[in-house]
Amino acid sequence: MNPYLAGFLLGMVLLASFFITGRGLGASGAAKSVVIESIGRVSPEYAQKHPFYASFFATGDGRPMKNWLVYLTLGVLGGAFFSGFMSGRAGLKIDKGPRISNRTRLIMAAAGGFLFGLGSQFGRGCTSGAALSGMATLSSAGFLTMIAIFGTGYVIAYFFRKLWIS
Amino acid sequence: MAPLIPQGFINPDLSLFFAFVIGLGFGYVLEQGGFSTSRKLAGVFYGYDFVVLRVFFTAAITAAIGLLLFNYMGWVNYDLLYINPTFLWSAIVGGVIMGFGFILGGFCPGTSMVAAIIGKIDAMLFILGMMGGIFFFGAFYNTFEPLYNGSALGSIFVFDSLGLPRDLFLFLLVFIALAAFIITRKIEDKVNGIQSEKGLFHSSYVLPFAFMSGLALLILILPDQPKAKWYESDPESLLVEVVSGDRYMQPEELAYKILHPDENDLVIVDVRPAEAFRQFRLPGAINIPLDNIQSRENRRRLKNTGKEILLYSHGSTSADQAWMFLRRAGLDNIRVLKGGLNNFFTGFFAEQEIPASGKYSEKEQFERRFVERAAKAFREGEASRKTPSAAQPVRTLINIQPPAAGKGGC
Repeated sequence: MNPYLAGFLLGMVLLASFFITGRGLGASGAAKSVVIESIGRVSPEYAQKHPFYASFFATGDGRPMKNWLVYLTLGVLGGAFFSGFMSGRAGLKIDKGPRISNRTRLIMAAAGGFLFGLGSQFGRGCTSGAALSGMATLSSAGFLTMIAIFGTGYVIAYFFRKLWIS
Repeated sequence: MAPLIPQGFINPDLSLFFAFVIGLGFGYVLEQGGFSTSRKLAGVFYGYDFVVLRVFFTAAITAAIGLLLFNYMGWVNYDLLYINPTFLWSAIVGGVIMGFGFILGGFCPGTSMVAAIIGKIDAMLFILGMMGGIFFFGAFYNTFEPLYNGSALGSIFVFDSLGLPRDLFLFLLVFIALAAFIITRKIEDKVNGIQSEKGLFHSSYVLPFAFMSGLALLILILPDQPKAKWYESDPESLLVEVVSGDRYMQPEELAYKILHPDENDLVIVDVRPAEAFRQFRLPGAINIPLDNIQSRENRRRLKNTGKEILLYSHGSTSADQAWMFLRRAGLDNIRVLKGGLNNFFTGFFAEQEIPASGKYSEKEQFERRFVERAAKAFREGEASRKTPSAAQPVRTLINIQPPAAGKGGC
């Protein structure tokens, strides 16, 4: 798909989200709900007393999984699977740069995920929830987060070039 | 009429269904846009593939323009949208960490979901790592909390931060996007060793750019607010309300509520200048001078209290003006203190001179007793003992947001 058309359509999805729910899109929120729900299952007392987790049990009938972002992400999975399957892109695979092994790639992916998970808590959202949705409402936080993510990426890209380019 | 769910047009329980449907669109477009492979995503940092930047920038600007147009047409109430609050250092630190995560992992959370569901094993590992990172944040929350909640600047807008008019900023943003599209096209062609189309304008972005800049220009040149928005009161019904006088609260009712904090669900707003407020105020009142009442922040916060708002001034005039403005802006549940402070005090202090004789009916005697008790309370400070005294810090608007308001001093 033409990237500008894809961007326009994504913008329309984002606009629909604001029109219907008053808020934008998000992806890291669902992962957070899974983490918090799991903690709640394993140790309810710890979760209820924890200053960060406790608020998530206060909404959605005490169920972190009964959350707007969780259902959004279920939709994302459905939509993406449909698209990938119909376009013949579905199938087990590891994408990586030409100079690294599968093992290195998987370790780096997990490490990157760890950092993204941590950073998205400080940023109050990830590339979708903080940067994209934040920019759509012209909030300072959105632009700041976007500049910080991509600015950092460009500054450090050179040092990690072995991961991606030959 | 929108946003639909915060306005109550859609049952909140149904919102989860809409979340799923919106998610379907989000996931489909991301996958179609090529966001399901980490090689492509990382390309934006190495110059061989800028698809992320194109999709991301186009989507953000499309939605931003759309929201402002909807707001202009009165289809969306911008005041009710969730504006990401800015916590300066938390946002910067978080962004930097996410930047590292992007280079190492080759995904961001949304794209990792898209990639994982179609079988990308690296994306599945990314998601597991992400949950680990979130758990790590929670485990050390007490350590991170000062940074996380520090440097709070509220829900501020980027154009205000830059000191630019909103519509001009949006227009400039479209040109920044065009510049980014041109430059990245050149870089991409060079890195990949492709002979590009000659000239500055590559055919692929001319059409989207023309469309976006056209809409941005439209927003820029449209006159301000052509008509009442759907959520604003229309002039005719407002006139009926003005004449009816239902908005007035009698001094007795206010005094009763101040003296009985348990039954008091009022947000009392003093619309006099700050100087007059400092010298004297009703117990528990907050100060929003008439000149500031139209600010977006104030409107938004008053709207979010979910309580009855009582406006007062010396007489009724300033409070009436504030009432008129707020009603027009779509707030309801607003009352005005009948006769203002002057009437309030004449009622409770001057009336003492009238001798209480046996001529009064039971109801009148009851009212007399109440007036006397109220006068005593206000004079001797019973009311101010139950409520924040002048020595305590003045309540700010932040304190009257829903959770705090329930425990408020009055």
